[in-house]
Amino acid sequence: MQLALVGLSHKTAPVEIRERLAFSNDALRSALASLVDRRAVNEAMILSTCNRVEVVAESPDDRLIRDFICEFHQISHDSVSTHLYSYRNVEAIRHVFRVTASLDSMVIGEPQILGQVKEAFRIAMDAGTVGMHLSALMNRAFAVAKKVRSETGISQSAVSVSYAAVELARKIFGDLSGKTVMIIGASKMGELAAKHLRRAGASSVLVTNRTFERAVELAKVFEGAAVPFEHFTDHMTGADIVITSTGAPHFIIGRNLAEQVIHRRKNKPIFFIDIAVPRDIDPAVNQIDNAFLYDIDDLQQVIDANLKERFKEAMRAEQIVDDEVEAFCLKMQTRDVVPTIVQLRDSLEKVRRDEIERNRRHLKDLSPDQQAAVDQITKSIVNKILHPPIEQLKQMAHDPQGADLADLIRKIFNVKPQ
Amino acid sequence: MHVVLLRLALGLYSFGFAHSVLTALKKKQTFFQPAVFAGFILHVASIALRALDVRYLPLTQQYEAFSFFGALTTLGFLIAYAKYRIAPLSVFAFPLIFIMTFVANLFYDPSASIPPVLRSNWIYIHTPLVFFGYAALFIAFAAAIMYLIQERALKSKHPIRFHNWLPSLEICDDLAYKSLAIGFPLITLGIVTGALWAQAVWGVWARDAKVLFSFLTWFVYMMLIFYRLIAGWRGRKAAYLSIVGFIGVLVTFLGANYFGGLHTFQ
Repeated sequence: MQLALVGLSHKTAPVEIRERLAFSNDALRSALASLVDRRAVNEAMILSTCNRVEVVAESPDDRLIRDFICEFHQISHDSVSTHLYSYRNVEAIRHVFRVTASLDSMVIGEPQILGQVKEAFRIAMDAGTVGMHLSALMNRAFAVAKKVRSETGISQSAVSVSYAAVELARKIFGDLSGKTVMIIGASKMGELAAKHLRRAGASSVLVTNRTFERAVELAKVFEGAAVPFEHFTDHMTGADIVITSTGAPHFIIGRNLAEQVIHRRKNKPIFFIDIAVPRDIDPAVNQIDNAFLYDIDDLQQVIDANLKERFKEAMRAEQIVDDEVEAFCLKMQTRDVVPTIVQLRDSLEKVRRDEIERNRRHLKDLSPDQQAAVDQITKSIVNKILHPPIEQLKQMAHDPQGADLADLIRKIFNVKPQ
Repeated sequence: MHVVLLRLALGLYSFGFAHSVLTALKKKQTFFQPAVFAGFILHVASIALRALDVRYLPLTQQYEAFSFFGALTTLGFLIAYAKYRIAPLSVFAFPLIFIMTFVANLFYDPSASIPPVLRSNWIYIHTPLVFFGYAALFIAFAAAIMYLIQERALKSKHPIRFHNWLPSLEICDDLAYKSLAIGFPLITLGIVTGALWAQAVWGVWARDAKVLFSFLTWFVYMMLIFYRLIAGWRGRKAAYLSIVGFIGVLVTFLGANYFGGLHTFQ
């Protein structure tokens, strides 16, 4: 197996170059077809997302792939060569594993990349450009990604404001089903946080805004109810999670109001998320029993700590990837070598048997003992001839050049793959 | 035979104990469940064998009391675990279960003599009620501690202090409330039957340290129930009171020996 990978990512190329070299979904099929049309490109797959383009091929030459990328996008070599990286064999395997396990992502551990790689693999399968080698590689890559996800905390903690809100809400309420979210003010960020809470299981959404029409509009998005701004305090009694993001210059929820609401709720907890600047909720609210207040800085603090945690976990993940790369290489090389040994033996044994068969009539006068001796002698001749090449193959089984030697021996002895 | 079973149970509980230590150190593992379950079965078998041996409720000796309480706490843990799937409860449950069972092994006394004062059918009602009640109140206590740790972390807003291994506040509070709702009626009945028993035997029942402490403890839990139901207490305040109550239970169960009285083990 000979792998070549050429690509570019957010780390090596600005967005102008990335969009210039991206493959649209429609273009993928024809791109894959024209790639495997080339001599010396046996299998191919293309991953194209907004952060990266990766072309992986079973091919001995990565320059072919560079040429292909430039030709396909009709762009000169010079203008992109500094942005493109090339990897071969072991390094290509490592890169594929790292990308799939989200170790090379902009936000380390983000889960989307695995889905994107799977989709790219599926498209290449449909296009018929994936063979034994790439499918072995990709299936291993998916398994490694899964292992990294389950054995390290790389994707565990929230690294965006809205996910941090969900994570904290879960620490308070556990299961969010049956919980009501109230949105006060209609900012993008508030909307996003509410959307994530809703997806995490929150059952209903109340929306209030100074402009009632805007509240009605937003309520429609969440299949929730709009509440007039003048009466929002009454409705807060039924809200478990309150997200504020108004443009008000002063606090709209003070300590007294929060205390009253908690009292009316018979002390059922409320999670206040204040993502407005200037703040909408008096920080003293956090001192009330069963009220939990996080403002934008608090959430950011949670995110920062989680990011640090992710980097720590990423180090462990790299170790897993290293081990897996080694194991995969070994498996691939032995896979090339072992069948060669078996086929070599089989083919020479066939030659021996055919010769004996052909000379059967010259041998028929020999006694059974003598016939057995002939059989034994020919066998041992074959074994002696085969001994050095097989020993060599066995020795090279764990060497990157083992595959080349296997190829050479196949050619010399004219052994065809079965 | 029952001692062998008890020792085996102790050995298996050590897996639960190891689990609690590892959980506290934030190491994930799941091997403890079958071990603890098997330990519990052996433990129950040990108590049953002892009961057959002495032809009586095996609760008249100190080691029997510890063993019984250990088994009930394990049962409480298993029920709470089956309902809420919260492994961290083990952090609190297993040190206690392990120590109780260990002490039971330590104080083991093969003599099967039953003090005449305890030869009464009341023992079959009074003692199990109290013990079941204590086990439930222990679970409530553990839930209260978990609640307070998690609540402090959330209020402090320092992400470093966040405890991912702990269940959510709502689950902690729910578990504390439900255990209280089970434990309180049990100890109430336990006290009533105890009073009736004492009345029947001696005609007086209040001049005993254990009785006095159990009244105080009962009163704390009574207040907690009252505040929860009437004043809508939950969370932190309820957790504090639940802890005070369980300290009362400990003093009643362990401490009363040192004050003398009818409940002292000979």
